Amino acid sequence: MLFEGVAFRYRRRGPWILKDVDLALEAGRIVEVTGRNGAGKSTFLRLVAGLRRPGKGSVRGRPDRVGYAPERFPVDQPFTVRSYLAHMASIRGCGADSVGVWAERLGFERLLDVRLPELSKGSAQKVGIAQALLDGPELLVLDEPFAGLDAATRDALPGLIGDLAAGGTTVVVSDHQRCIEPLPDVERLRVADGTVGALDVTAPASAILEVVVPEEEIDTVEAKLRADGYRVRRPAR
Amino acid sequence: MIAIARFQAAAYVRSLRVLHPLIVVVLVVALVLAQGPGGPDAAALAVGTFGDVAAFMFPVWAWAARALLDTQPDEQRALTAAAARHRWAPVWAGLLAAYGVNLCLGLVTLAVPLVQAVSLGSPGRAVAAGLALNALVAAAGTLLGAWTSRAVLPSPGVSLLALLGGASALVLLGLGPLSAVSVPMIEWLRAVHDGPETFVADFPGIAVHLAVWTALVGAAYVATDRFRS
Repeated sequence: MLFEGVAFRYRRRGPWILKDVDLALEAGRIVEVTGRNGAGKSTFLRLVAGLRRPGKGSVRGRPDRVGYAPERFPVDQPFTVRSYLAHMASIRGCGADSVGVWAERLGFERLLDVRLPELSKGSAQKVGIAQALLDGPELLVLDEPFAGLDAATRDALPGLIGDLAAGGTTVVVSDHQRCIEPLPDVERLRVADGTVGALDVTAPASAILEVVVPEEEIDTVEAKLRADGYRVRRPAR
Repeated sequence: MIAIARFQAAAYVRSLRVLHPLIVVVLVVALVLAQGPGGPDAAALAVGTFGDVAAFMFPVWAWAARALLDTQPDEQRALTAAAARHRWAPVWAGLLAAYGVNLCLGLVTLAVPLVQAVSLGSPGRAVAAGLALNALVAAAGTLLGAWTSRAVLPSPGVSLLALLGGASALVLLGLGPLSAVSVPMIEWLRAVHDGPETFVADFPGIAVHLAVWTALVGAAYVATDRFRS
């Protein structure tokens, strides 16, 4: 999957949320998307899943079968878990027996006859993940899938993600809980400053150091620090 | 597409939102339509009822379509779009589900007038034209509702105003020189009340007008779907 010069904004003449996004997502890779709150991670994930269209640029080579699990599964629907997943299986063109298979793997078989509005946050999250997995997606996009999950599922999900990737599924996941960190060969993307780029894990971490200097020496100290290769910014007065 | 339409219709029915227009329809049937036409022109008046029902139901169909399309939460709309195999399936499926529900509401409304028209000996061609008119107006009403749904107009207040204003504007437009761009409500009401023969003679023109209006408004709705994501 190829992102070429992709930019996105919610409204015409609104601010660009993401711009100059050029990257390739290879089949069978696990991609972790990081970034601070509000940086545009969810927007990027929606662009990956094809739920948002770029304002500029293009996304090419998206697979046909896409699974998307949102950060908050919409429980305000008049279905039981079983009937909801049966409908989603039907939309995905796969048999209703896949519902039982994924309910068992994610450990919510006993909730199949519970109504969606009655689910806890973690159980709803499992249903959200299950509906994305029903037809064996070629591209799986998970937005904070570990939030609210019980310990057993949180421990099992990285293995499941690894199995899917080994089967050729591209998995793109945002993960504040750092649950997929132990998986090998995880490619990391960072959403920051309105764009998305590869996170260089070999670069040393940065920190901010405040230096108090006499006012008449401020230009001299700044020049020295810049000469030594540090980034310097003056506080706004 | 059928699976998505079934899912949306099931959500609309299970959420009991379907009761809102159904209660209105049942009240109208019980309080107005159940009495039936009388007198020497009863057979002709029974045909006229089909036109009256179509005019009354036009905003009700728009309202029901808007409610059906608004039943699923926004995030579920995204999940359905991700699950759908074809880019256009969700938008067509939404229209199909809304139209299907509206046809059912139409059947509930027209059951009594249909029995009355048949028992009074109204001309069969006029009765068939009356039924076809309602099917066409249901499609037009569905599209008006779709244009005021949350996917197009996220604000509930603006959406409701657009629904009421749109229905009123289409009626008013039909009275003036711009009647060609509106639904031909005045034409069909005039035709059904001028007698069954006039209605049958005028129906093809009215049907073509409704079909063209529906096709253009529907094409614009589907074509602009890409700007809503």
